[in-house]
Amino acid sequence: MKYAYLISGLLLLAACEFEIQPELAEPEELMVVDAFLNDRADRQVINITRSQPYFDDSEPEMISGLNVTLYDLTVDLEYPFTEGDRYYYLDTNDPVGVVGHNYRLVVESPSETFEAHATMNRVPSIDSIGYEFNEANFLVDQDHFTAQFYAVDPKGVGDCYWIKGWKNGVYFNKPEELNMAYDASVSPGQPIDGQLFVFPVRAGFINPYGDDSDPESTEMVPPYEVGDSLYVEIHSIDRAAFDFLYALYFQINRAGGFGEIFSSPLSNVSTNIKSTNPGSKTNVAGFFNMSAISSAGRRLTAKVADQAQIKYYNQ
Amino acid sequence: MGLVCLIHSNLLLAQEQHTVSGYLKDASNGEALIGATIRIQGQSLGTISNVYGFYSITLPKDKYVFDFRYVGYDPQLKAVELSQNMRIDLELSPAEQQLQAVVISGKAEDDHVSNIEMSTEELDIKSIQKMPAFAGEVDIIKSIQLLPGVTTVGEGASGFNVRGGGVGQNLVLLDEAPVYQSSHMLGFFSVFNPDAVKDVKLYKGGVPAKYGGRLSSILDIRMKEGNSKEYDISGGIGTVFSRLAVEGPIKKDKASFIVAARRSYADVIAKTFTDALDDGSSLYFYDLTAKTNYNINENNRIYLSGYWGRDVLEFAENQGFDWGNRTASFRWNHLYSEKLFSNLTMFYSNYDYGFKFGDKDDLFEIGSEVSTVNIKPEFSWFVNTNNEVTFGGEAILYLFEPGTMVDVSAGERTTAGLEDRRALESAVYVSNDQKLTPSLSVQYGLRLSYFNYLGGTVVVYGDTLPGSPKPVVDEYKYRKWASIADYLNLAPRFSFNYKLSQTASIKGSYNRMNQYIHLISNTVATTPIDVWQPSTNNIKPQAADQVAIGYFQNLANNQYELSAETYYKWMYNQVDYIDGADVFVNKYLESQLLSGKGRAYGVELYGKKNKGKLTGWLSYTLGWTERKVDGINYGGDQLNRKGSWYPTRFDQRHNIKMAAFYELNDRITFSANFAYISGTPTTFPTDRITVGGYVIPYINNNERNNYRIPDYHRLDVGMTLNNVWRGKKGRSGEDNIAISVYNAYARQNPFSIYFSQERGRPSMDNPVATNATQLSIIGTFIPAISYNFKF
Repeated sequence: MKYAYLISGLLLLAACEFEIQPELAEPEELMVVDAFLNDRADRQVINITRSQPYFDDSEPEMISGLNVTLYDLTVDLEYPFTEGDRYYYLDTNDPVGVVGHNYRLVVESPSETFEAHATMNRVPSIDSIGYEFNEANFLVDQDHFTAQFYAVDPKGVGDCYWIKGWKNGVYFNKPEELNMAYDASVSPGQPIDGQLFVFPVRAGFINPYGDDSDPESTEMVPPYEVGDSLYVEIHSIDRAAFDFLYALYFQINRAGGFGEIFSSPLSNVSTNIKSTNPGSKTNVAGFFNMSAISSAGRRLTAKVADQAQIKYYNQ
Repeated sequence: MGLVCLIHSNLLLAQEQHTVSGYLKDASNGEALIGATIRIQGQSLGTISNVYGFYSITLPKDKYVFDFRYVGYDPQLKAVELSQNMRIDLELSPAEQQLQAVVISGKAEDDHVSNIEMSTEELDIKSIQKMPAFAGEVDIIKSIQLLPGVTTVGEGASGFNVRGGGVGQNLVLLDEAPVYQSSHMLGFFSVFNPDAVKDVKLYKGGVPAKYGGRLSSILDIRMKEGNSKEYDISGGIGTVFSRLAVEGPIKKDKASFIVAARRSYADVIAKTFTDALDDGSSLYFYDLTAKTNYNINENNRIYLSGYWGRDVLEFAENQGFDWGNRTASFRWNHLYSEKLFSNLTMFYSNYDYGFKFGDKDDLFEIGSEVSTVNIKPEFSWFVNTNNEVTFGGEAILYLFEPGTMVDVSAGERTTAGLEDRRALESAVYVSNDQKLTPSLSVQYGLRLSYFNYLGGTVVVYGDTLPGSPKPVVDEYKYRKWASIADYLNLAPRFSFNYKLSQTASIKGSYNRMNQYIHLISNTVATTPIDVWQPSTNNIKPQAADQVAIGYFQNLANNQYELSAETYYKWMYNQVDYIDGADVFVNKYLESQLLSGKGRAYGVELYGKKNKGKLTGWLSYTLGWTERKVDGINYGGDQLNRKGSWYPTRFDQRHNIKMAAFYELNDRITFSANFAYISGTPTTFPTDRITVGGYVIPYINNNERNNYRIPDYHRLDVGMTLNNVWRGKKGRSGEDNIAISVYNAYARQNPFSIYFSQERGRPSMDNPVATNATQLSIIGTFIPAISYNFKF
């Protein structure tokens, strides 16, 4: 389904759109736990906020006064998080995340206790980042460079990844740049395992054709020019987190224009945060996940660009 | 048994009986006349010709005057002294064009009141051609959307909705072969070339036993046979397509053919202005429709027809998608006797789509396909004047290829795919049309259908909280053709017509429908990438019961037709989707599906003017259509997630449709369409939650379709100017220029309202703004001009 988005984003058919301000029903203002932790020896951050009315674009309000604790169930370790001004955090010199370990996150409020479970899975290393030369085409009306990363999914079904990228240090944080992989392919329903990630995963979400300086412009710009750099991280995620992100992708990607015919109905994304009281009617949103990370980066130097051009013309 | 007794008793009562039978054709081109009437003067007896133009009537030995009629044609009277079985094949000539006799239906003048059929709409191609069309392109699916009870969720949506049914609950038949995807260019145009179409009939209810396999409607499209008298070339140049059709006799009055083709030419024109399309990109669609028939002898006739169509949207050499239908059907009409007509149809139908994403060295392709082979014998037994028995059967073999994938990385190619799925659907049916008294006729029938989901991998899913993906608990193999799951269903059908007078009748119907294959579509509108899936051990067949009752009245010597119908439809095992379902090429698709029930009910009021300078119709539909599915719209009940009723996307409360034609003189016709449809339901969020820097909409209480987008209304106007060049100064043939304006008052009709974070790259320092956007697929009026010719 993500292919429909990749393609329909290119359907520049005339459609007409304008912003409206409809009256919305009463917001629930529920607790949102954003706990994507990793195996790095950096500060680990958990955002716990309250949801806002949909059109309220202020900073979400942090819920303070909670006890937040991470448990490594495999080796029976406990990591209490500290309440900061904007988030809960843990400063550690040794990574808290270890591949293969099971974790439990506990969030205690004065009235109720919430918990979530996650497993930290393996992650493949990134072999390299490559740049290709392209002649002017339907997308970009000048010669240009595109990038892809090369990594091989290890054999064995069920590996899930969240792939993040940065161009010149700027994170690819647009909804349409959210890139996940299930084994070597994009979803569990399309089983391709134990090989180089398929092309849409390698290149589909790290080539920004849009002009960031002018979000309204439909003009396509070269994704990479000489001097630009690309840095890629692969985060292992567990299956529940994959399903969460996969559903989230369709909720936050509203292609607009003609691509809107491919949108799914609006619905709530899943959560793995649950009250420890099985009869509780308190709704909570958000997700807890433990990631192992691999990374690689490369700059498109004049030399790299020349090599890519030579390769292109020699084929 | 009751059926046999009735027929038997009728036979016993009868004196010496003889049968008059034959084919009725158009004298100008040899096309079969569908639904022509055969009346016996001075008596209330009569019959109508079937879709192949065949009729048969059995009467006591006597002298009669037969009156053969087809509206718009000169009637013929035949005095007959009936002392033995007789064959009368007749050709009726089209009436000289008279201003006062412009007709918008070819049927008997009082057909509306006298025919047993209700909840049925017919459009002949002549009136479809007169309607102002989108971009000036005459379109069958767009035209039927102007009929009562038929809706669409908007421009750009493929297909149509009938009485609260989904797009995938319509069986679209082209010369008996099902067409899986009826749209070109993502729903803007339908795949049927109007130059090759003769007759269009839509069953919304009271569906005869010979049809089955879908819940909501049957759209039966009949292609022309091809002129068997002389060669005709017709065509047109429009804003989007150009069309050309050639038809003519292979052997006069014995065999004929028609070949009709269309192609869009935006890309052809664009290529002369820009070189952007030179690097392998292609944006076009085409279709080719062909048919031939051979009249072997008095009792045997064969037909061969085919359709090939494709849409290609490729933005670069290896980037884009394409889709298309292919059908081929062979039919054999055979008369076993003057009372027993048969038709045997065999067809192949295929639909496939593919995505390509890549560049010169790297490529990922993904595609899906469904193919069907079918054999369908049907028999009409014209038992006597009061009984016409239809019986037959059908066997459909389905082959689903849910997903094939090709990955090319630096020239190295790997392929993967989902396993094929096979299924066999078979059915037998019998039905009788019976005149119980001169004023009461009934049609009753039974359809028995049997479905087998055949071998391969069986996936067993476990129970879970409704609305969550179902866990796989077991996976094992069956032999290739072994039956994994089977379903047997009996579908009764019943209709009656009680004539209150010569000009008024009451009709009622009940039908049960079963549907074994499902269109999986979880998007705002149905799209070409929606896939068909068989019923399996995990997906149960859908079923529906519909009752309808209506009052039918003709006024002023059949000049006006009025009707009021009300219907109620109960739908079972409706396929729905978990929140965030992944239904695109998914091995575990069934883990994403939910099952629920549906209901649709409403009233349709319809008035039509058949004669005079001004003709047309006006209809109003008041309708409801709702679903109840556990796991959707469950409010605060997180523990059980019992669903509450919610309106479907195509729940459109008020629906007003108007079509009008005004014939100023024999050169100029004006036409206008108007549609007013209540806004479609949609889901609005209440909260925004922030995770990983993404702003995600959240709906308090898990409501579904809790708001409506603004109402849709649109006026189209058109003018047809006849005999622009041809038909003048002794030139033979005819031609016209059609000028139309779609959406004449340029309303920005909403297609959807969507909620998203602000476009552009979010800054890491500031919170992201959230917007609601109203989208109109067509935001202005669209003028068009086309030139059409025939010679």
